Amino acid sequence: MASLSQLVDNVVVNTFELGQPETRIGRRPDNDIQIDEISVSGQHALIEAVPNAYLEGTVDYYITDSNSTNGTFVNELRVGGRQRLNSNDMVRIGWNEFRFIDEEEQALEKTAYILD
Amino acid sequence: MRYHVAGQSHRGAVRESNQDVVGWRISHSGDHALLVVADGMGGHQGGEVASRIAVDAVMESLGPEIAEASPYISDKAIRDNLDRAFELANERIVSRRANDPRLEKMGTTLVVAWVSGNQAHIAHIGDSRCYSLSGNQALCLTRDDTVVQNMLEDGSITAADVPNVPFRNVLTRAVGAAEQADPSYRCETLEEGGVLLLCSDGLTDSVPESRWLEILKESDGMERTVQALIDAGLANEAGDNVSVVLLKLEY
Repeated sequence: MASLSQLVDNVVVNTFELGQPETRIGRRPDNDIQIDEISVSGQHALIEAVPNAYLEGTVDYYITDSNSTNGTFVNELRVGGRQRLNSNDMVRIGWNEFRFIDEEEQALEKTAYILD
Repeated sequence: MRYHVAGQSHRGAVRESNQDVVGWRISHSGDHALLVVADGMGGHQGGEVASRIAVDAVMESLGPEIAEASPYISDKAIRDNLDRAFELANERIVSRRANDPRLEKMGTTLVVAWVSGNQAHIAHIGDSRCYSLSGNQALCLTRDDTVVQNMLEDGSITAADVPNVPFRNVLTRAVGAAEQADPSYRCETLEEGGVLLLCSDGLTDSVPESRWLEILKESDGMERTVQALIDAGLANEAGDNVSVVLLKLEY
């Protein structure tokens, strides 16, 4: 399973498991990950967990900005459409920093049917 | 009408072994040509074995056909011959895998072009590619059998995502990995002066297509063009084996 770890000054202060098909991030209390901070919109971003249709046993994670005021960024690039996340991507929600980690993805690199 | 053909396979700037194999042949009459590239997989040993078996099977199966082929051979006969060659390559790899546990995971890409007159008949499995180069255009004639290609087409990812996707090298089809080989096939007309290029992903990953066209214009003769393409890959620290076979059609 993948997770999103919130970082403050490069220290992990909180880790959220991305166990559901959809994880909603925002300032309002009805979000799955609530960030009560001024730069975060009521409903800010969405992370979807989608089984890969072509590679059995693999789940892809996609992030979409929910028309937030201050934007969603992956590795400091503003997210326009729906974007796939890679393990170790830095995700910024307003001014809040997170690291996306996908352990499965790291394992996959060793085990999959790979051309070499 | 004349074909100018040249090819080369290089282990690249990083790898210690070369799992790519190339081959080509021109008929006695000069009006048929056969070009082959295979890129093996399945560990150090398996990859080398699989690509070698595949190219040998193609040359053995199609070499005599090409050598003696009539200028009037039908498109259907060419396609049937290509299918048979893929079938032979597949069978041999499957049976070798079954007999040697060390080669259990081996398989290979395979792209074959049978050029007859100005018609290029292309059969393909995997992510080695065939391009038609003319003027300012490099047109890819094959569709990669990869997870990444499927995801690009369904809109899950964009071209910018490709270098970061962890399964970017995972094939959905390979020769030797299924009961039956079922190659994709297409036929393309070559223009006078047109060039057909077969390559492994070592070239596509290390040298942009726009550069190929410049190299083609700058270089004199097919051998030098092939060498310049390989050199460009090495200059860019090609992480994989780099293989190219080129054919130019001249009247």
